[in-house]
Amino acid sequence: MEGESRMSAETIQKTPAPGEEGGEMPAILRIRLSKKVDCEKQCPEWECLQPSQFDKVWVVGELEEGRVSEPSLQMLTPGLELAKKLYTSLEAVLIGGDREALEKAAREMIYHGAERVHIIHSEALREYMAEVYARVLAAYAHKHRPDVMLFPATMRGRELAPYVANTLRAGITADCIRFDVDEKTGDVDMIRPPFAAIMLAYIKTPTRRPQIGTARPNVFPKPPRDETREGELLWARAEDYGVPRPRSRVLRVERIEKKEIPIEKAEVIVSGGKGVGTHEGFQMLERLAELLGGVVGGSRKAVDMGLVPYERQVGQTGKTVRARLYIAVGISGAAQHTVGIRECGTVVAINKDPEAPIFQHADYGVVADWKEVVTELIRILETGEEV
Amino acid sequence: MSLEMMVGIKWVPNTQNVRFDPKTGTLIREGVPSIVNPADLDAVELALKVKDTYGGRVRVITMAPPSAVKGIEHVIGMGVDAGVLVTDRVFAGADTLATSYVLSQAIKKLGLPDLLFFGQETIDSSTAHIPAQVASWLDLPYVYYVDRVEEVNREEGYAVVRRKLEDRYEWVRVELPAVIAAALKSQVPRPVRLSEKLRFHRDKPLQTLTNKDLGLDPRCVGLRGSPTIVAKVTWMPEVPRKRQVFKGDAREAARWLVKKLAEEGILVREDGRWRVRVA
Ligand SMILES: Cc1cc2nc3c(=O)[nH]c(=O)nc-3n(C[C@H](O)[C@H](O)[C@H](O)COP(=O)(O)OP(=O)(O)OC[C@H]3O[C@@H](n4cnc5c(N)ncnc54)[C@H](O)[C@@H]3O)c2cc1C
Ligand SMILES: Nc1ncnc2c1ncn2[C@@H]1O[C@H](COP(=O)(O)O)[C@@H](O)[C@H]1O
Repeated sequence: MEGESRMSAETIQKTPAPGEEGGEMPAILRIRLSKKVDCEKQCPEWECLQPSQFDKVWVVGELEEGRVSEPSLQMLTPGLELAKKLYTSLEAVLIGGDREALEKAAREMIYHGAERVHIIHSEALREYMAEVYARVLAAYAHKHRPDVMLFPATMRGRELAPYVANTLRAGITADCIRFDVDEKTGDVDMIRPPFAAIMLAYIKTPTRRPQIGTARPNVFPKPPRDETREGELLWARAEDYGVPRPRSRVLRVERIEKKEIPIEKAEVIVSGGKGVGTHEGFQMLERLAELLGGVVGGSRKAVDMGLVPYERQVGQTGKTVRARLYIAVGISGAAQHTVGIRECGTVVAINKDPEAPIFQHADYGVVADWKEVVTELIRILETGEEV
Repeated sequence: MSLEMMVGIKWVPNTQNVRFDPKTGTLIREGVPSIVNPADLDAVELALKVKDTYGGRVRVITMAPPSAVKGIEHVIGMGVDAGVLVTDRVFAGADTLATSYVLSQAIKKLGLPDLLFFGQETIDSSTAHIPAQVASWLDLPYVYYVDRVEEVNREEGYAVVRRKLEDRYEWVRVELPAVIAAALKSQVPRPVRLSEKLRFHRDKPLQTLTNKDLGLDPRCVGLRGSPTIVAKVTWMPEVPRKRQVFKGDAREAARWLVKKLAEEGILVREDGRWRVRVA
């Protein structure tokens, strides 16, 4: 199994479009194959390669405690969409030192939509070190030339992706919330909110490949799992790509005990803002959350006031959440906050200001003093009273 | 020789009160005051703490228009020894690759410090790219999310830092020179002292580097050296929501909410109790 199967990035294989047999080469492929970069205009520090030499969409997966992480699986959703639009295939890449865990993770990636999984393995990679993993990944990508590389913007992804991108002298766009393909140029649009979350910027990398992007956990849903799906595992020896001597190592680890479920996994979130104002207020939200089997989150102002830990901040610089029920209490609904609740099922807002923007982002809004409403909600839930 | 530290800082518009031109989708910069990127103050504080313990020198470096001198003045007020302003028209419009390239070349020219600190991310782009990119350009080891520097041993060429991840702390031994990105909100930056600021005006501990000094190919810097381009900007599409609003008595409101959530199938009442129905 060791020894890597060769793939050729040079020859882009024509995949017939859905419903199409053989037929003409789709326009987007023609465009991609004929794309030319003027090397004279490029920075000579950067190797000038033609975009047509690159193919495939890669999702770089990560293992968490020996298992493939949820955010890695979520990235297969935009990966699949891009692969379809680019008429190419979706592949996953895993790197590490535990064969069994890697193989299991690879199968999960296949069950969730990857057609092929590259597994870069070495005993020397048992321990995760950002710099070492990033360099091996960069060398691997340099050889196999994917057109697109997607990373989950987990803590690991956020430290790996820019190093990989830089080593390849490729462009990178962080925290995308959508990906698309420009039909005219064949370039991927990496779509992200710049600055404030009111606008969306379409960012392209017309002259460099791979096109690298990240998205935060929960921005995309996980594709459906299908255990009957089959795919190819391509084992590679990390040593063939050069495993650098690690210049850092972990001396010691100390777990941070967490009794509550992390906010990004919660089904119900009761989130408080500046309007809640005090620790006592947040204790009431805790009680409500408990009755609903959920957890408490907060706006940035609530975090800044020390009422909620930063790990529970919802929004652009906090977490994107996908709760079935999101209750915003005393939160005004700034764009940087509401960008984090786009994926929530039902949104409830309680705010005393009828003009608060949060009502535009809510399914059910209540204009009232939060304390009275929450007190009553707690009472109804505690007593089980009919309404 | 004593310990050399450098911190990358950015002078950013204070986005807390930023306004947009809805027609062009661009930022209205006029009248928006700038500040030192908050996360960079964590990095400065981390470096100053190391200096408190081991001595040495802390310098800051920023690639920015000349107005960023104000930011350098601010951190010198905190106790930073000196600042380097990397500025040139050709550097304008850079994405993170081109920015990190210029910063790296400037740092190389100044001589690699033992510890090169960065903030975790900026409030105006929040990519968290620069620390890793600079590490890649300079071929240095790098550690993200650092909330403590436990030990620095210059003679033996290593430091021990603690990094804070979601579920654990890790103590990492890293060889010097190294790039360190400070964990967000991990420090309480010390206040600016007037006496220190006066030192800035008296001693002018400020060095300016332009592309005359660095001699970089214009194709590698600024807009031209940036592989990413902003092709267009649009409004964020809205998520369709029901937008039903209840005004009136708070107790009535609570009953209305429970009713609505029951209609949605989120709440169910069974055996005289309300509970959330699991999906
Ligand atoms: C780059 C950047 C990133 C940001 N990232 C985030 C982010 O990730 N997450 C985030 O949340 N914010 C973020 N922000 C900040 C954001 O712009 C807002 O400032 C913040 O969300 C406001 O928090 P808030 O709604 O709690 O406070 P406020 O805006 O002050 O709103 C408080 C609300 O409480 C209501 N209220 C007061 N008293 C009562 C009462 N008794 N009963 C009912 N209602 C009451 C008020 O009517 C008001 O609407 C970011 C900003 C920037 C510039
Ligand atoms: N123009 C710049 N000059 C110096 N340091 C910078 C600059 N831009 C970013 N940085 C540093 O890199 C960190 C991460 O920035 P970013 O990758 O833009 O989110 C910041 O917190 C700064 O420490």
